[in-house]
Amino acid sequence: MSYLLLLLGFGFHTAAMFLRGFRLDRCPVTNLYEATTFAMWTIVAVYLIVGLWARLRFLGAFASPVLFAIGVFALMPNLDALHGKRPELPAAWTSVHAALMSLSYGAFGLSAVAALMYLTQERNLKFHKLRAVFTLMPPIQRLETAAGRLLASGFILLTLGLLSGVVDLTHINNPHSYRGDPKIVWSIGVWLLYLGLIIMRWRFAQGGRRFALSAIGSFVFVLLTFWGTNVLSPLHNP
Amino acid sequence: MPLVVLGLSHHSSPVTVRERFAFEEARVPAALQSLRDSGGADEAVILSTCNRVEIYAFTQREPPAAFAALREFLVTCHDFRDPLRDEIYTLSEPQSVHHLFKVACGLDSMVLGETEILGQLKKAYDLALQNGHTGSRLNKAFQRAFNVAKHIRTETNIQRGSVSVGSVAVELAEKIFSRLGDRGVMVIGAGDTSEKTARALLSRGARNILVTNRSQDKAIALAQELGGRAVPFEDWAGEFESIDIIISSTSARDYILDRARLGPLMKLRRNRPLLLIDIAVPRDIEPEVNFLENVYLYNIDDLQAIADDYLKQRKEEVARCEQIIREKAEALLAHAGGRAPSGSVRPAFGHE
Repeated sequence: MSYLLLLLGFGFHTAAMFLRGFRLDRCPVTNLYEATTFAMWTIVAVYLIVGLWARLRFLGAFASPVLFAIGVFALMPNLDALHGKRPELPAAWTSVHAALMSLSYGAFGLSAVAALMYLTQERNLKFHKLRAVFTLMPPIQRLETAAGRLLASGFILLTLGLLSGVVDLTHINNPHSYRGDPKIVWSIGVWLLYLGLIIMRWRFAQGGRRFALSAIGSFVFVLLTFWGTNVLSPLHNP
Repeated sequence: MPLVVLGLSHHSSPVTVRERFAFEEARVPAALQSLRDSGGADEAVILSTCNRVEIYAFTQREPPAAFAALREFLVTCHDFRDPLRDEIYTLSEPQSVHHLFKVACGLDSMVLGETEILGQLKKAYDLALQNGHTGSRLNKAFQRAFNVAKHIRTETNIQRGSVSVGSVAVELAEKIFSRLGDRGVMVIGAGDTSEKTARALLSRGARNILVTNRSQDKAIALAQELGGRAVPFEDWAGEFESIDIIISSTSARDYILDRARLGPLMKLRRNRPLLLIDIAVPRDIEPEVNFLENVYLYNIDDLQAIADDYLKQRKEEVARCEQIIREKAEALLAHAGGRAPSGSVRPAFGHE
């Protein structure tokens, strides 16, 4: 039922984004409002894909409130600013770049949701707390696997997104002038952060609580700093 | 011609009496045949489990006469000559229909809400059906009972949670591990509860079972019973790498596993989750190991507390279940075409 409701909402959201996209003649990720709603859209998209497996559908229970909170944030005033003049970038590559980056944040977001569920359930098991959700939630090992795989998928998408951004930049005159752009530096920082998490998990077997806390912490960091660096970046917020 | 029930259960009689009235499955068809041949019943089902022996029947006779005939049949059939007081109970409509529904739902069981009885009831009914001892009336009553059991299972919490130590352990394992099939289980100490717990895990898919005990002979015997492998008691830690669940119940005076020993062993296992079930008194595992990451320790009191909690929840559901059963039984009886005036034999449902 909740899956169908999310699917319905996703349908409307997609239609609205297409309308806006056609009007702008590019992927509608040109200001903070659009980026926020696009991030929401990608979280739902990733959820709807992984939700095809009934075993992973539980993520919806925790993801929906997170989506609602992000949606409320997107509706804050002044986020939907007029589109300024942008550096002359090819629309196709820019759209691919924005879509891949947003999809990667969607996957990181869902990974954090799975990690949050893991921590809740892990705490219940550790302290012998019997609660109603205890019987409904999936085993912690499955939650941990889901969080790990979503994070790895997000990392691959982020890598591809950054590469497409590099290709995109080669199309403009004097691309080196954007070398110190805060958003680019920040994105590389995020990439390194998640690379560290992946190495920690698969090379040093640091699973469990530590990994879950890191996945949540990293996504909270992304959420809190995404907007700030966007505002500071002349390339992303002209 | 009403539905009547005659029998004895764990509520009315001790096991010493019940065992003497039990029917072997192979004997049931012949018993049903002789019951019908003697005119004791037109349609009949015999339910014989370790907790109850009951005859469900439709007969032309008035209830008092029907009960006398069924009782005579039961006593003669088992050549029971000792005096009987209240061990055998009798029920006529509507209580007989209520009782059938309650039995199907596990409300009359020793472990409240258990589901095994439903399978046993279905089997008893199938046996009678296949041998031609049921008719439209018993068929309708039993089919309705199975539907009510299904309804109660989905609409109430009477079957939620585990109410025995073994099944709580299994539930915990299923909350930690994605699959039990590829998890290693080690039984340390060959006690009764640890065997039951291991069996419960086996019934849910666990395959790889190791048994260790101070007496190697006992370990080998239990390992054979469980389809596992015995490991010398001195070497059990050597197998730790492949173990995910430990059930410990030795009679050791001191801890056999403490935090200092487990820490390095967890590194060997690359910090995979580990479920420790300590059912020994005095305890086998130092409580501080629960502070280690990915270690989940439960002692006998923890498991019992969870089981008691679930049982409390089930008891709270009984009133709801009984209300549903009353409504469903009334619907079935009303479907029969209304009740006859008191004093006469009530009409049974199912008259076509």
